[in-house]
Amino acid sequence: MTNYIIRRLLYLIPVIFGVSFIIFILFNVVAGDPAPLLLGKHATAQQIHDLREQLGLNKPLFAQYMDVVRSSFTLDFGRSWATRQDIYDMIRQGAWPSLTLTIPAFAISTIVSVLLSLVVAFYRGKGIDLFIRFLCIAGMSISSVAYILFFQYFLAYKMGWFEISGYEPEFPQFLSYVALPGIIWIVLSLGPDVRFFRTVILDEIYQDYVRTARAKGLGEITVLLKHVLRNAMIPIITYVVIQIPFLILGALLLESFFSIPGLGGITLNALNSSDFPVIKAMAVLSSIAYILFSLLTDVLYTLADPRVKLK
Amino acid sequence: MQDQDTKSLWGDAFSRLVRDRWALISLIIVLAYSLIALLASFGVGVPDWKTSMGAEYLPPGGSLWLGTDLFGRDVFAKVIHGTKIAMSVGLVTSLIAIPIGVVIGALAGYFGGWIDDIISWFITTFSSIPNIMLLISITLILGKGLTSVYLALGMTGWVGLARLIRGEVMKHKEREYVQAAGAIGGGHLRKLFIHILPNVTHLVIINTSLQFQTAIKSEVILSYLGLGVQGEPSWGTMIDDARMELARGVWWQLAGATVAMFIVVLAFNILGDALRDALDPKLKGK
Amino acid sequence: MERPLLSIQDLTVDFITRDNSMRAVDKISFDVPMGKTVGIVGESGSGKSVTSLAIMRLLPQPPANISGKILFDGTDLLALPDDEMRKIRGNKIAMIFQEPMTSLNPVFKTGAQVAETLMLHRGMDKKTAWEKAIDLFNEVGIPNPSQKVHAYPHEMSGGQKQRVMIAMAIACDPKLLICDEPTTALDVTIQKQVIELLQGLQEKHRMSMLFITHDLGVIADVADEVVVMYRSKMVEKDKTRSIFEKSNHPYTKGLIACRPDLGANPKRLLTVSDFMDEEGNSLKVTKERVQVFEKNYEAKNDSPILLEVKDLHTHFPIKGGLFGRKVGEVKAVDGVSFQLKRGKTLGLVGESGCGKTTLGRTILRLIEPTSGSISYEGKDITHLPNEQMRLLRRKMQIIFQDPYSSLNPRMTVGEILTEPLVVHGLGGGKSERLNTAKELMEKVGLKANQLNRYPHEFSGGQRQRICIARALMLRPEFVICDESVSALDVSIQAQVLNLLLDLQQEFKLTYIFISHDLGVVNFISDEVGVMNKGKLVEMDRADRIYKNPREEYTKTLLSAIPKGLPKNLEAFLS
Repeated sequence: MTNYIIRRLLYLIPVIFGVSFIIFILFNVVAGDPAPLLLGKHATAQQIHDLREQLGLNKPLFAQYMDVVRSSFTLDFGRSWATRQDIYDMIRQGAWPSLTLTIPAFAISTIVSVLLSLVVAFYRGKGIDLFIRFLCIAGMSISSVAYILFFQYFLAYKMGWFEISGYEPEFPQFLSYVALPGIIWIVLSLGPDVRFFRTVILDEIYQDYVRTARAKGLGEITVLLKHVLRNAMIPIITYVVIQIPFLILGALLLESFFSIPGLGGITLNALNSSDFPVIKAMAVLSSIAYILFSLLTDVLYTLADPRVKLK
Repeated sequence: MQDQDTKSLWGDAFSRLVRDRWALISLIIVLAYSLIALLASFGVGVPDWKTSMGAEYLPPGGSLWLGTDLFGRDVFAKVIHGTKIAMSVGLVTSLIAIPIGVVIGALAGYFGGWIDDIISWFITTFSSIPNIMLLISITLILGKGLTSVYLALGMTGWVGLARLIRGEVMKHKEREYVQAAGAIGGGHLRKLFIHILPNVTHLVIINTSLQFQTAIKSEVILSYLGLGVQGEPSWGTMIDDARMELARGVWWQLAGATVAMFIVVLAFNILGDALRDALDPKLKGK
Repeated sequence: MERPLLSIQDLTVDFITRDNSMRAVDKISFDVPMGKTVGIVGESGSGKSVTSLAIMRLLPQPPANISGKILFDGTDLLALPDDEMRKIRGNKIAMIFQEPMTSLNPVFKTGAQVAETLMLHRGMDKKTAWEKAIDLFNEVGIPNPSQKVHAYPHEMSGGQKQRVMIAMAIACDPKLLICDEPTTALDVTIQKQVIELLQGLQEKHRMSMLFITHDLGVIADVADEVVVMYRSKMVEKDKTRSIFEKSNHPYTKGLIACRPDLGANPKRLLTVSDFMDEEGNSLKVTKERVQVFEKNYEAKNDSPILLEVKDLHTHFPIKGGLFGRKVGEVKAVDGVSFQLKRGKTLGLVGESGCGKTTLGRTILRLIEPTSGSISYEGKDITHLPNEQMRLLRRKMQIIFQDPYSSLNPRMTVGEILTEPLVVHGLGGGKSERLNTAKELMEKVGLKANQLNRYPHEFSGGQRQRICIARALMLRPEFVICDESVSALDVSIQAQVLNLLLDLQQEFKLTYIFISHDLGVVNFISDEVGVMNKGKLVEMDRADRIYKNPREEYTKTLLSAIPKGLPKNLEAFLS
């Protein structure tokens, strides 16, 4: 187990090299020169040259790549080019609004999805199963943007039940701001989640051990909630946990639409203004989170499934 | 049994597919959308979206089924043109993503060892960066527009398929029919291309249906963010327009684009499920 | 007369789907008396398992549609409401299944799974139930019961898992125990122990048993009465001894006659089709057909040595540690040496995991050996470069175990059969190759016009014939049959064994025949090698091995074979 964890942590090294390489190719090789963009239309050639020098863009490509790698490993991303703010300050400020939106929404949608998929699995093949499955597919077929527009227009603007947009960081005020985007998040997640969980549960229902449990005289609900669910938890955990690192990045679309000053909005702004250091920080941090959480998935596996031994 | 009754697994799957009423309807819808897209790209038999047909924001009615937009243009014509954009995004990104996914996945799964190590590292690296961030970055860097959307979606869409094919090829490699091909003296190329790949092709077909709808949905998001199609209507730009219009009670652009997209994505979803049921040998007899 | 514990009357099970309806069980009636064992014997698809699941009411309805009566202690189980039926299941009627590997829930401790039954039906609290579970583990012969109750299923061997299933089944002192192929997935030595355990428990708890199996040897050992099922119907029902001595139905006769047994060695095996035609009418069987034939073991003693294996090792690394270094190895083949003369058949027997399959594949260099040498026609091929090895593959072929996975489902039979010729650029043009394929199709008993069909359109036995034809396309001299008849029903198995003998004669083949079934190996082999833990324990002429085994392991293996009843073929002649 310890060996496994160490090996997986060491795997961070090649992955960070890889992420740095992708960022480097995208922003240092393919993308245009950021200097004129940052300085505006009236910049002189000298100003542009000085800025490029300062940003290290006049170095040879390999040296530029090593710069990217170095800052990725030291996690020293410097300041934003656009706002001149320290990047960690930006992240610290953006994390709270993002998490107040994503964590409750994620938790609620996961719980509701598991419950719904159990109901659907219990009534498999019957009318209610077909109906919920159709709702899931239909729900997944509508653009997320259309949901956002419609819900905001109807529930906030027309009915006045929620704030139209904006944010206040204090509890409980923020609730009225994150409630609507949270609901949209839940609606968007239910379709794919219920469909996936249903498949996973049904895969288990046809296993031999379920027949044994029935042969013991257990009722269908006990069979489902005790024997089947416990086994289905294994793929469900993987599916759920691996989404968590991306929660930290916030909900890009929702945040920008509802003017929530979270990490998603920060990322989107950075992308729009070619704010390279911020993009780099977000990419590297989220891939580190991704590796750590996939490690966490593996560790949780050993708890859920006694057959798994990490070596 | 008569000789002409013979049926390959493909033929078998196809007859099962068309027996499923919903799958058949979905297939027809997808074909109809493709036909509309094809006609629209040649400008044949489709209404003109460029010229003004009347006043701004005419509500639906009369010959203007979906009313007009800010410039008095026919919203229905814009929906039709958007169909062309959406289907082309689906097609082009599939053509980019699927070959990459199949080749990379098959190489990793079949040869294993260091080749697999490198490809797995590449796949992990790619999936560790949030997809939407990659999409937006690539589109921005290559310049706003349809070509960038194609490339961005194509270059990010292969990861899931590669992972799937890799696992499946690994499984098939150990099957006895592949061992048998080795025992008669068949080499790697024969084992991989003649034996294993035809047995994972069904996954590619299922995945194409998935890739299509993901691409259509992503185009809408990118266009909505102003990164996608420029200077011509797509479902995404129409929904983006609706942001300003809804408050004025103009709902038809949003409704037109959303419904058009809903129908085709739903059809792809149902078709994808039906394909999985019809093609996946694992589910046979369950 | 005492009322039977279980009385099945006109039981019919149909599976009705949207597209078609299939009758799985057709109007069968039989009784299970108190304290007795009734066996149901039949081949795959005969409806025997469906019958047992119908009694437990474990068939999902729909698609299953059950009619008739199942009277248990006088109550009709089919008329009971679901919650009443649940009180009977696991309590008065218990069941054990074929696959101990998958029949236990992998994420719960085995003790908990036994205790669950007790808590459910006996209303015990957790502590009492666990204590009782330890007693039950002890009763079914699991060593260290107080520790083993805390073990998960994957920490136990197949035999132990089946013992846990038995403990679970007898926990509530059921009146009826249904055993659905309980020993089929187990090695023969473990099978013997499990059967003895079941018999002991039956006596002690005075249970009735319904014992379902395809294996006539097992049924003869355990059952008082036998029900024979064939194509959803019950064809015969009688006392066990009577069935074996003077069966009335041609199918039963065929089933009994086609089993290779250790005592006698007929020239060819009888098959069901010797007794019964397609329509189920009895056929005449002549006396010379059943004549026991003394195999001439010395026949090809002067032929040259074709294959020689010297001190062969095949080891698989076990990876571990920080960077996945090799920390140990599994010695799958651990120093095997033997010689095989041209035209002879060497049988390799052993239990699962003994290394017999790895040995076969190593000889063909489908797996690379770790050390030792393999010589073919006097030439060392252990390190032959791939290109030369490829040429040699024309002479050496293999037939695999599973006729379902060893044919590429996306290729037609014609493509499958001509592929070996294509690979080696032999056999002329396309039509010539197809002609060769047609010839072989007929040689293996299939129709030449079936070449454009796909594997899934054939039955298991037919597929195995296709595999045989494929192996023979290159006119090899040496063929390894790796458990090639193990997945087949016993009547089909007899046909395929006869076919292999005919082909051996016609094509002058040398065989290595790998199997776990000692009866089959005895029938087909000149020499037999017994394998255990990667080593060749004993190797001798087939008849000597069976009559005078020298090694302890061989003796154990032989004594574990179900004795069955002697078949009286004379009585079957009509």
